Amino acid sequence: MKTTVVGSYPKIPDPPAPGRWRTSVEKLQRGEITAEDMRRVEEEVTADVLAEMDRAGIDIVTDGQIRWEDGQTYFTRGLGGFSINGLQRYFDTNVYFRQPIAVGETRWRAPISIADYTFAAARSRRPVKPVVSGPFTLAVLSRDEFYGNQDQFVMALASSLNQELRALAAAGAPVIQVDEPGLLTHRDRFPLFRRAMDALWDGVTAERALYTYFGDVDGLYPAILDLPVDILGLDFVAGAQNWDVLRKAKFTKQLGLGIVDARNTRMETPEAVEAACRRAAEFVPADHLHVGPSAGLEFLPRKVAQRKLEVLAAGARRFREGAA
Amino acid sequence: MTEQILLTTTVGSFPKPPYLAEARRKHARKQIDAGEFRDLERRATEEWIRRQEEIGVDILVDGEMYRGDMVAYFADQMDGFAIPGLVRSYGNRYYPKPAVVAPVGRRGPITVEWWSYAQSLTALPVKGMLTGPYTIAEWSFNEHYPTRRELVLELARAIHDEAVDLERAGARYIQIDEPAIHTRPDADFDLAVEAMEIVTQGLKAYTISHVCYGDVPRIYPAMLRLAVDQLDLALKNEEYALLETFKSPKFTKDIGLGVLDAHSHRTETPEEVVDGIRRTLKVIPLPQVYVTPDCGLKTRTIDETVAKLTSMVEGARRVRKELSR
Repeated sequence: MKTTVVGSYPKIPDPPAPGRWRTSVEKLQRGEITAEDMRRVEEEVTADVLAEMDRAGIDIVTDGQIRWEDGQTYFTRGLGGFSINGLQRYFDTNVYFRQPIAVGETRWRAPISIADYTFAAARSRRPVKPVVSGPFTLAVLSRDEFYGNQDQFVMALASSLNQELRALAAAGAPVIQVDEPGLLTHRDRFPLFRRAMDALWDGVTAERALYTYFGDVDGLYPAILDLPVDILGLDFVAGAQNWDVLRKAKFTKQLGLGIVDARNTRMETPEAVEAACRRAAEFVPADHLHVGPSAGLEFLPRKVAQRKLEVLAAGARRFREGAA
Repeated sequence: MTEQILLTTTVGSFPKPPYLAEARRKHARKQIDAGEFRDLERRATEEWIRRQEEIGVDILVDGEMYRGDMVAYFADQMDGFAIPGLVRSYGNRYYPKPAVVAPVGRRGPITVEWWSYAQSLTALPVKGMLTGPYTIAEWSFNEHYPTRRELVLELARAIHDEAVDLERAGARYIQIDEPAIHTRPDADFDLAVEAMEIVTQGLKAYTISHVCYGDVPRIYPAMLRLAVDQLDLALKNEEYALLETFKSPKFTKDIGLGVLDAHSHRTETPEEVVDGIRRTLKVIPLPQVYVTPDCGLKTRTIDETVAKLTSMVEGARRVRKELSR
């Protein structure tokens, strides 16, 4: 089994340490530093985050999404056909994102995340997992003023992002994660979702991970096992019901076991992590487990996020030792 | 009696003057002492009381010169909370999100002293301003209570005690802000309703709840079950689109009609305000309508705030005059 993260990580340290990323954004806005200076700051913060995940003992890391304003802007800005609009609440969180508006044809023009991936891969001792916002969730969180038809909009995004996934695989990514929390708020659109996944993953040679969070997959299981992915990442905190749901049919994928609460500062114990791994090992072979937080960790202050990763790694060690 | 219709008020916060923003920074670095800092907060409060009187607002607020974040302000003064660090809201905006680490409760009155000070400065009524239990719970981490429900209800009892203290001090208007109330409209709107019943139980004061940001049609007509006299809502930022929702079923409470976009720099004209009120009066009966901005104005400049409120008061006066003819 492996330990991993779901994606985002806090960009600034806890006070009183100076939040370099934050003050640099202010300086950039005031014209006191250049975009090039800002990029260097983001690279340094990214390198710090990679080192922090490594020290905590995470086996498969991400770059912490330090350069992402939010999950929607990062990709839609890179794709053609979007304008970026006002603030919207991100699902049931107290985090806000700028809503993309589809104003023209969505088209993949050039790599969006490849340079960030290769930077992180070069700076990390551990394998780096690039994360891509899924076409379905992007469509759900955007406003469509061009297609006039959700199916067409989703499929256009899926084939555009397919190019991005292929480029990531070509750049050497061993595993690629696609995030689709929007599926859980629009379960009735699963037939469309399935078509989108077929188009999205077509010809992608890396290992394929699909992550949902903020809820369970009741009503989608076991149909979700037919999707063309290798790893299915699920939230067992907000979606504690998943423990029961997964009993309804044999689980045939690798499992992303999201058991450390990414949205609450309450600290888990290594014993609780170990117990959750044991429970999952009753229906998934241990070497098919990717144990991690329930969602991206940017909902937490930095020190809490760091401590949660340490607890996660300690729990996983206990499980491995117990299983051996 | 025409002055008693279309009463004007505001949602709560006003911009802090530059000298106070500077003093807050210095105070955080311990460069000025608490007494000096407090004097500046009082001075800024008095300035806002005078401005509201000059503009002609009917029901005043203290402007919240002494508050930072609307949840952290209460968390800081209550038992059971810690501030574990900063979390990102969007862009490079961060806030000190509180964590509930022990049973929550009041150590003593939280808002009464500032309310009493503001009320001592004016003959006009000043509203008591509280953050609601659902919003405090939703915008805090919960490390202590096994369920959100237990936390929300315990907070509701504490905020109720605060409301009672405000009423005893003389507050005739008490507002309970619940901007997070529609976060989980299906899962626990009933909980939000139950909590508000606890907060306002037995109060004789006129009660108001401000709800903003998010899908108001999703919680309509359920929101009419909230145990308050008035729902204060943002109408202007979507050009009164909500009026369609309020046609059926009928809007049975008083409405705090938001006629000023709190997040745009542009000053609305009195004509726009008149037009908004007229459109509203086709849907909601006159005695139920109060006139207010969409939201707290703390992100505007002082000049923008004064200009917007002047238009609001002028617009309300024009409609009053029309109706009295």
